[in-house]
Amino acid sequence: MAAVYLTHHQKVLRLYKKSLRHIESWCIFRDKYRFYACLLRARFDENKHEKDMVKATIMLKAGEEEFWANQHPQPYLFPDSPGGTSYERYECYKVPEWCLDHWHPSEKAMYPDYFAKREQWKKLRVQSWDRE
Amino acid sequence: MASRALAYCVRSVARSSARLNHGNVLTRSACAPVVSNQRLLSVISCSQRTRWTELVRISGPSVHLCRHYGDLPPLTLESIKERVMYVLKLYDKISPEKLQTSSHFMKDLGLDSLDQVEIIMAMEDEFGFEIPDAEAEKLMTPAEIVQYIADKKDVYE
Repeated sequence: MAAVYLTHHQKVLRLYKKSLRHIESWCIFRDKYRFYACLLRARFDENKHEKDMVKATIMLKAGEEEFWANQHPQPYLFPDSPGGTSYERYECYKVPEWCLDHWHPSEKAMYPDYFAKREQWKKLRVQSWDRE
Repeated sequence: MASRALAYCVRSVARSSARLNHGNVLTRSACAPVVSNQRLLSVISCSQRTRWTELVRISGPSVHLCRHYGDLPPLTLESIKERVMYVLKLYDKISPEKLQTSSHFMKDLGLDSLDQVEIIMAMEDEFGFEIPDAEAEKLMTPAEIVQYIADKKDVYE
């Protein structure tokens, strides 16, 4: 995102997603989760058309506090997400891509298609770098 | 691993044949950990003293050494697109006839931003990795979702 500050819209969406994930952690059976997810969606929907920002921020704050009170102590995290089991597990094995330039020509000949395109890619990068 | 077990069996056969032959130089050199199984077996089958050669009758060049690791089948752009469209068709607020890869969620399909959050969550559940919020709010068409997943999973770049 461009700006550091989140808009109200973004905050509401993030609260919605967090609370759905924690409901999923609480209600492990899928039909029960679906039921409570629909209830939550209805609660979000009925206040959707609020035009008064003061009231909306008050409701958002109340929603955040309710989330904090009802959150799951060990929510389900995906393995690759921060806090998950496999987060940054393979970071030490990832080689930076400039090392590909230091390969021996006999090794480079094993992947002729890639290294043919690589020159074009580097030229493109040189051109577009200044634009960014 | 199979080659090590094979070499062990061969070595045990060779050791027993060495005891019988009393210092046959060929079988002692066969105990060295050389992975040329075909040569070893032909050496041992030459010696006619041991009875065990009939049991150790493995066809020579078919012992290909390859390792199998457990993993999911590799993703292709096609398979990602199939799965994304399948999940979207299962969503009840989208009619399957109007759905295409370039259909915008808000403009063409008339969905809400809360629906878009739910769709992104369904994609996360489908592919098993998390899509952070900053990038999730920008994904507005199925094509963009496919592109994002392909970027994350290194599928044909």
